[in-house]
Amino acid sequence: MLTTDKVTIKFGGLTAVNAVSLHIAPNKITSLIGPNGAGKTTFFNCISGVYKPNSGRVIFNEKEIQGKKPYQINEEGISRTYQIINLFRKMNVLENVVVGMHPRLKSGYLSDMFRTPAQRKEERSAFRKAHEWLEFVGLEEDALNPAASLSYGKQRLLEIVRGLASDPKLILLDEPAAGMNSKEKGELDILLKKILDLGVTILVIEHDMKLVMGVSDYIYVLSNGLLLAQGTPMEVQNNPDVITAYLGGE
Amino acid sequence: MLLNLIIAGLVLGSIYGLIALGYSLIYKASGLMSFVQGDIMTVGAYLGLTFYHILKLPFAVSFLLSILCAFFLGMLLEKGVIRKLLNKNVMPIYVVLATIAISYIIQNALMLGYGSITLFYPSVFNVTSVKVWAANIQPEALLCLGTSLVAMVLLHFFMTKTKLGTAMRAAAMDSVAAESCGINVSLSTGITWGLSAGLAAIAGMLLGPMYGVFPILGATIGRKGFSGAVVGGYGNMYGSILGGILLGLLETLVAGYVSSVYKNLFAYIILLIFLFLKPTGIFNERAIQDV
Amino acid sequence: MDLPNRPKKNRTLLNISFAAVALLIPLLAGGQEYTLLLFCIIEVYIIAVSGLDIVFGYCGQISLGHAAFYAIGAYGTAILHNTFGLPILLTMILSASLAALIGALLAYPASKLVFHFLSLSTIAFGEIVYQFLIHSPGGITKNFNGLFTQRFSIFGYVFRTNAAWYYFGLICVAVFLGAKYYLVNSKTGRAFTAIRENTHAANGMGINVRKYKVMAFATSAFYTAFAGAMYIHLASYVHPDTFTQRQSVLFLTMLLFGGSGSLLGPIFGVVSVELLIESLRAFQDYQVLIYGVLMLIVIVALPGGLYGGFRDIAILGKGFLKNHSRHRLDKGRE
Repeated sequence: MLTTDKVTIKFGGLTAVNAVSLHIAPNKITSLIGPNGAGKTTFFNCISGVYKPNSGRVIFNEKEIQGKKPYQINEEGISRTYQIINLFRKMNVLENVVVGMHPRLKSGYLSDMFRTPAQRKEERSAFRKAHEWLEFVGLEEDALNPAASLSYGKQRLLEIVRGLASDPKLILLDEPAAGMNSKEKGELDILLKKILDLGVTILVIEHDMKLVMGVSDYIYVLSNGLLLAQGTPMEVQNNPDVITAYLGGE
Repeated sequence: MLLNLIIAGLVLGSIYGLIALGYSLIYKASGLMSFVQGDIMTVGAYLGLTFYHILKLPFAVSFLLSILCAFFLGMLLEKGVIRKLLNKNVMPIYVVLATIAISYIIQNALMLGYGSITLFYPSVFNVTSVKVWAANIQPEALLCLGTSLVAMVLLHFFMTKTKLGTAMRAAAMDSVAAESCGINVSLSTGITWGLSAGLAAIAGMLLGPMYGVFPILGATIGRKGFSGAVVGGYGNMYGSILGGILLGLLETLVAGYVSSVYKNLFAYIILLIFLFLKPTGIFNERAIQDV
Repeated sequence: MDLPNRPKKNRTLLNISFAAVALLIPLLAGGQEYTLLLFCIIEVYIIAVSGLDIVFGYCGQISLGHAAFYAIGAYGTAILHNTFGLPILLTMILSASLAALIGALLAYPASKLVFHFLSLSTIAFGEIVYQFLIHSPGGITKNFNGLFTQRFSIFGYVFRTNAAWYYFGLICVAVFLGAKYYLVNSKTGRAFTAIRENTHAANGMGINVRKYKVMAFATSAFYTAFAGAMYIHLASYVHPDTFTQRQSVLFLTMLLFGGSGSLLGPIFGVVSVELLIESLRAFQDYQVLIYGVLMLIVIVALPGGLYGGFRDIAILGKGFLKNHSRHRLDKGRE
């Protein structure tokens, strides 16, 4: 589904991501782990179009997407969530989800301004679908509340479902469990598998090892911008380099 | 003819440079654009006139006094209005509007206080023109050039060689880090605004004797001064000076050789061109964020 | 079944009474031509400020040069009509469309800029247009003499009274505000708001930020330019000094005073600021000063604008009542 070929990202003299090549298989949950500052979010930013790599390629379903703008990459079928919550705070929960549907809605400027019958129909079905999405994650009660009024854990859920609203083929989750308590993390575990059932492939950055090991089909380990190790959860857990990177003197 | 134009351009450019310098200092220190600089320039001109012509104090004393008054005006502005608004966490647009509102208040107040007709400085010098190479120049123009140069050099030394100046630069670069080093960021920011106001007052006092004083003296020049700051690199001290001088030179040359009617247009077109094509300016000042 | 997408408030009664008052203004004004003129000007400003609201209140892009579009609309319609004899309504639409095109051309490179630098570019644009007005090539704008226009007529009907013009203006306000209502509650409108709330995330949601910023600017320019065209046909004469930066700041002040990002905000803002300015006509010399002081008061005391202020008071009031009744219930239990 997604392959990166020696992607390198430099900021001035600092090489944040160093010739990282990896492969995300469809309909699986792949995790990207590594100590803080390893370059994981920078790597995400490259895939989602925020950064253009200095060298290397990002190939999504046989198409090269490196250097494309973020909205174009979203149109291609890749969605993402952010490490810091990036909700549209003054909009209500439902509207946030509908904004997520943007690339799938067909109406244009003129049909919006004159509210053609076709546009009205599309809006109705969009909001109906948005309600369904909220039911999918259990947020339908908060539908009309401002996004800023939600609890932290619910805000994270909203971010995820907003990313799902555009019917992506691949969703990038940047530390979805950050700040969640163990009950919420358990629910997240179930949600991730539900998302997989929808046919959406998941690439996730996470620090919570219990969650990562429990949910991942495959793991890549990044350290100091380099791909340190890869494999199934079992293989990665027992990899001596990985253990050193996390515990030994960095 | 060319020499006359170049000197006139340098004179205008040094004025732009002083204003642009003020803009950059404020931007570096507070992350804000202040639309009052031009009007502080007018205040400086009127203050100078009051001290020199009405109170009959010697020129040098009037000069220093009005700079001092402007300095305190700038500090008062920062402490009394800007800081209060920033602490209230209002939308940034409101801070911009606040500076515009204050500029209106100053303009109207000056008009009420001094009237709207142009007032003239009595001659500062005894001669009406001085011969430099082949050109006849007003001595006021030379005063302008000389004083601007001195002001810029003094500022440079102040910023780089003194403890206070270095502290101010540190506060502008990273207020949190500076605060933890024991630097009083709040005071430093206030001084920065005061300094910028002082620079504007100098510009006003140099311009006044040459063109006369009227309530919107500084407003137009203040607006065009933004052009100088952007051209050089908004936020960059030296860029602002260079940008201002370049702007003054180009504007005067365009007025002399192409058309004086579109003189004012020139600065704004240059501003747009730079904003659209090279917003970081000549010195590549990375003060702006991209979309 | 249609699920609601926002809390439904029954506003029908309010809307009807609002509309009734609006329709009856000429009667209420009692034939006072000057008062009626004031309301006509208010209509013009409502459209102009609603336009600014689209680009600033909804899309979050600051424009301190909207007087330029106002000018393009005003001068455009007059020049087209005086020179080519085209029907006035057509010239109004044409000049507003020209403004929209120019707005789009300006917004395209400006979309890279944020906040201060964006505002600088709009200021520069405003100044360039003003310079063009006072120094036009071949004198098409008649420079400092100002521009006169002929009798205002649409489809053969000649407007002779302010009352007649008022109803024309009312139709325009209804059309423009209606279109704004549709636009902001649609996919395009949501894209605008998303860009304002969080440009980075909007980009990630598949919104082509640059395209929508251009759309917002162009729409906004059309509105304000059409308002300018309305203005010149109301006053029959314009002078370049109507289109200085002060006018741009006035638009923004009215918007912020009333509350940006809403349909009613601009109406509140225009009405209150215009009435305020009118009541200060006696203090001509102090006008700018008082205006500046008022701006400061609004900035310090009413950041949400009057409309925002009313909303907040209403919410506070409801909250107070709720707490009060809960308190009584608790007391009962003890």
